[in-house]
Amino acid sequence: MLWAAVAVAAAIGLGGIALHRGEHINSLWLVVAAACSYATAFRFYGKFIAARVMALDDKRATPAERLRNGHDFEPTNKWIVFGHHFAAIAGPGPLVGPVLAAQFGYLPGTLWIIIGACLGGAVQDFVILFASMRRNGKSLGQMAREEIGRVGGFIALVTVLLIMVILLAVVGLVVVNALKGSPWGTFTIAATMPIAIFMGLYLRYWRPGKVLECSALGFVLVMASIFAGRWVGESATLAPVFTLTAMTLAISIILYGFLASALPVWLLLAPRDYLSTFVKLGVVMMLAIGILFVRPELQLPAFTRFTDGTGPIFAGKVFPFCFITIACGAISGFHSLISSGTTPKMIAREWHSWPVGYGSMLLESFVAIMAMIAACVLQPGVYFAVNSPAGIVGAAPAAAVATISGWGFPVTVADMTTLAQNVGEQTLFSRTGGAPSLALGMAHIFASSGGGQTVIGFWYHFAIMFEALFILTIIDAGTRVGRFMLQDLLGHVSAPLGRTSWMPGVIGSSAVVVGAWGYFLVQGVRDPLGGINSLWPLFGISNQLLASIALCVATTILLKMHGAKYMWITCAPMVWLVSATFTAAWQKIFSPLPAIGFLAQAEKLEAALQAGTAADVAATQTLIFNARLDAAICGIFMVLVAVILLDSIRVWAGILSGNGDRRVHEAPFVVSRLQAEEL
Amino acid sequence: MRQLLRLVIALLRELADENAYQRHLTAHGRTHSGAEWRRFSEERLSAKYSRAKCC
Repeated sequence: MLWAAVAVAAAIGLGGIALHRGEHINSLWLVVAAACSYATAFRFYGKFIAARVMALDDKRATPAERLRNGHDFEPTNKWIVFGHHFAAIAGPGPLVGPVLAAQFGYLPGTLWIIIGACLGGAVQDFVILFASMRRNGKSLGQMAREEIGRVGGFIALVTVLLIMVILLAVVGLVVVNALKGSPWGTFTIAATMPIAIFMGLYLRYWRPGKVLECSALGFVLVMASIFAGRWVGESATLAPVFTLTAMTLAISIILYGFLASALPVWLLLAPRDYLSTFVKLGVVMMLAIGILFVRPELQLPAFTRFTDGTGPIFAGKVFPFCFITIACGAISGFHSLISSGTTPKMIAREWHSWPVGYGSMLLESFVAIMAMIAACVLQPGVYFAVNSPAGIVGAAPAAAVATISGWGFPVTVADMTTLAQNVGEQTLFSRTGGAPSLALGMAHIFASSGGGQTVIGFWYHFAIMFEALFILTIIDAGTRVGRFMLQDLLGHVSAPLGRTSWMPGVIGSSAVVVGAWGYFLVQGVRDPLGGINSLWPLFGISNQLLASIALCVATTILLKMHGAKYMWITCAPMVWLVSATFTAAWQKIFSPLPAIGFLAQAEKLEAALQAGTAADVAATQTLIFNARLDAAICGIFMVLVAVILLDSIRVWAGILSGNGDRRVHEAPFVVSRLQAEEL
Repeated sequence: MRQLLRLVIALLRELADENAYQRHLTAHGRTHSGAEWRRFSEERLSAKYSRAKCC
């Protein structure tokens, strides 16, 4: 009876937001639709997969019990594993993607987040977690090699490396756009570095092992730096020092990435990672409470005119671009790396993988819904003024407001000036990348909970600090992982290059990895359309193609376990994902519209060069090269995934015809001897 | 309520690697010291940061 009521509430909620037009809709509709849909999907669909498809068995010992070593393999309380897994999968993706996709209106993104997570993302995470748990915690690459073939394993590795390069560039660009011309924000983020080093020394030499105590101290210092940032922003002497251009910030982040990758991990990366994990969880909770408390009205309409593909933030129609812009909130290939990483080694009972694998993704999806709400509570004119690049709306404030008002979203220069002054910024025009508008939305919600306009500046910079803190952690951790992967490959050529402690190898490989993502970051900064237009779709495509690889592996495993009976569970989301992603990739390469197609963009610039109308010949030549490079990267992703897809179809055809190898590579059944009190 | 608080603290300790450190001490029959923490943390962190962080 209760579940029937929850399901009805989900249906009413979804129906309400889908059919509502005209007046503003309250954000609670989205919260109710999402929460009730997640609860229903978790209770029925997730449980069906757990019981019927996976046949989870608590009598079967998990790798955490069988291979227990006190380090990686350790049976752990299910809610602790849940929190651990959620903290690992929740990055900037579910926050930034929905903010960018809000240019289509709140409805397309919201429906994709809810439906995509219930039927795609949570299923992928859960099935991969289950498969890894039954295979002694093997990685996605190892499972791809075993279940599909050696090609699959190699492609998974190369795809991850390429995605990391694009990911680090795009999140770097988000930080650059959030901090350019902002002395308050730049000071606060710069201060987190000496704070992290202080924490590293504190933890290593003064109070070894006291991570929580040290993180609490670090949090107090970071909060102090936000207050100090306001003073710096208002200081005639210090403000110019911390008012940096986008290019200076990009170079600073590249140098920082190099140093952080080569420095000992305990000094900078680890202490900041601890701090950012706690801040992340705290802010997500605060945002949820804030939304429930304030219950703001959404100002953006259900659909905007930009579903036709003429959007200023990124060009392209709602299909396929909504589905690659929002990756992490609906389905993310990166999650499959976490589900086949630390988490399967901590699961104490097989049934715990249901809340951990399926449930954590639903919570991540809820974070994406909150980000969508935070973006949509802004006035549409303000939202577009902040997120539209100067190359589209014009560099002068008067030109920008005229263009945006002409789209039917009225905004004035005075509105934008007042808002910028309230949050302690010099300007909020063309602050692309999603982070500033998300921070504005969050600040609006937090300030409406108490304090009003007097505290909105603090909350805006708190939100910027929160986003930048864990983005920078991703940059240095990602550079380090990229270095390890590269050194692993180089080790086959020359043994010393493979040693992670050999300084010349460390410096050389760090420089190569930083150079790779740094190149794309600089490309984004130089892009007259703001960079997000080209880099975010590339990131979305690569991430979704990794999800396609994960779903290929999952489908192969289900096919080997049950024949064709349950393969639709992973095959259906895979077909949808492959359709959306390949269409997007094809359009990004070959669309005749220069705003969408990389090659058309290169042709247009080439024509300008030949006609002699290009303002800067060298810069235009670089832009042409970059557009062709982006097209090539997109093409490489498509080819890699097409190969693994064809390889999988070959394996599936073999299994279905009865000629293929149907052996599943699970670890043998061992009876669990774990006692209840050990959990 | 007390159980929830205990769970939250346990989660924070797990995220802070403090639980893992306690398990390390128990498993190896050692006592806490600065050198022991550094040994544990180097091993733990090098494994942790050889894996990709999620986006």
